[in-house]
Amino acid sequence: MQARSEQDARIMVITGNAAAAYGAMLCRPDVVATYPITPQTEVIEKLFEFAASGELDAEMVPVEGENSAMNVVTAASMAGGRVFTATSSWGLAFMYDAMLAASGTRAPVVMVNVNRETPGIIAVSSGQQDMISTRDSGWIQLVAEDCQEILDQVLMAYRLAEDHDIQVPVMVNYDGFYLSYLAGKVEVPSKKRVSDFLAVLNEQPKRQILLPGQPLGCGTHGILQGFVELRYKHVQAMERAKAAFDAIDQEFASQFGRGYGGQIEEYRTGDADIVLVASGSMCGTIKTVVDRKREQGLPVGLVRLRMYRPFPSEKLTQVLKDRKAVGVVDRSVGFGIQGGPIYSEVCSLSAKFGGASVLSFIDGLANTDVTSDHVEQMLDLLSAAARGEPCPQVTWVCMEE
Amino acid sequence: MAPHTYFQGEGPWSDADQLMLYLDTGSWRSLRPVVDAEACIYCGLCALFCPTQCMINKGEYFLPNLEFCKGCGVCAKECPRGAIIMKPEGECDASKE
Repeated sequence: MQARSEQDARIMVITGNAAAAYGAMLCRPDVVATYPITPQTEVIEKLFEFAASGELDAEMVPVEGENSAMNVVTAASMAGGRVFTATSSWGLAFMYDAMLAASGTRAPVVMVNVNRETPGIIAVSSGQQDMISTRDSGWIQLVAEDCQEILDQVLMAYRLAEDHDIQVPVMVNYDGFYLSYLAGKVEVPSKKRVSDFLAVLNEQPKRQILLPGQPLGCGTHGILQGFVELRYKHVQAMERAKAAFDAIDQEFASQFGRGYGGQIEEYRTGDADIVLVASGSMCGTIKTVVDRKREQGLPVGLVRLRMYRPFPSEKLTQVLKDRKAVGVVDRSVGFGIQGGPIYSEVCSLSAKFGGASVLSFIDGLANTDVTSDHVEQMLDLLSAAARGEPCPQVTWVCMEE
Repeated sequence: MAPHTYFQGEGPWSDADQLMLYLDTGSWRSLRPVVDAEACIYCGLCALFCPTQCMINKGEYFLPNLEFCKGCGVCAKECPRGAIIMKPEGECDASKE
């Protein structure tokens, strides 16, 4: 669907970082607290530009570190504000305890995390290890494929986080260096259309917030059975987030003309014997190779993970049912678990989705490109596995140059 | 399953006057704050300064929640009327108040 008019949307060529900043600005946050880090810095620069020009009317808090950034936005959220922050890798690690406070207090914080390899080996380069490392933080974690989807996922993230039925912070992930600095065509909707999309949030029951003169504890008296109750509620809310994300995605499609499929995107999976499961920007390359293979008559398809937490177990079980071979591409490693982290979770479902061989592919670590040759190599291995030939369980594709 | 719930909504919001969940941290206390209710002028400074917020408002005076109070003595130090003394646990009877 084309934008209806100039007033509805502007077509721009912008980077993934700018797309994230536009997404945040359009949702009109009350408080933005951020600390710069490569490859996320441009998100903040853009937001401060918006604030300087008057396009964004938010309290801008330039903090001294990411830990403060997360604490500021969590506190502001508990006081009733709509909040935004952005980080990456080292910064995400530095705010980890504060992230737990955000999710534990059920503050509907929205953050973009520009994926980058984690501390230890200095690698100023792309990789999803940072996202993987915060898997059990209690946050909802989404993954975008391109610049347009980054903007769109930020809008959907507010719908999800602030949903009275969910109330869980949301992290929107996208590949650093690939998407952060890559300029692509992005339809930037008008503020009016975005506020229409978010309007449903104003009609729901008000969440508890902290008000002056009314002292309340939040997360302070939750030990023993109270703790158990809160954990149970949080886990249930994560389960509800799956269907909620599907519904939000559908509504987004009807309002903006772009639908992504919810928790997962299925690409030419219909009659596919061989299916790759992947996430992020590499999916663009995979789709190209899938098209090429299809032209050659090879029934292959792609399942793109758009939601990493909660893990779309039911959707994946459904789509992977009765395939001959399934390959999972991880842009991160699983220390001590044989194969990638997402691979291991897909494996945990294999008893439910049938007898397919499931192979792990480690690729794209530290900015090594996931090339079409790599994808061909993965599909060749999967074809062999589908024929019943013995194949290695784990292949470090990026090491076999 | 219909478990007992302590919290009304999704978040862990609680009002310490209404809801106080705690571990038994009072049993290892060595000094117990004993309040002279007659001398208490109900100023509330003990409750304000209590680091664990365990002074209970009794309407005309304050009493410590002895299951939670660790016996730090801040309330006795802050009381402007000297209405709270810190008494060794061994000299107190076993009753809670």
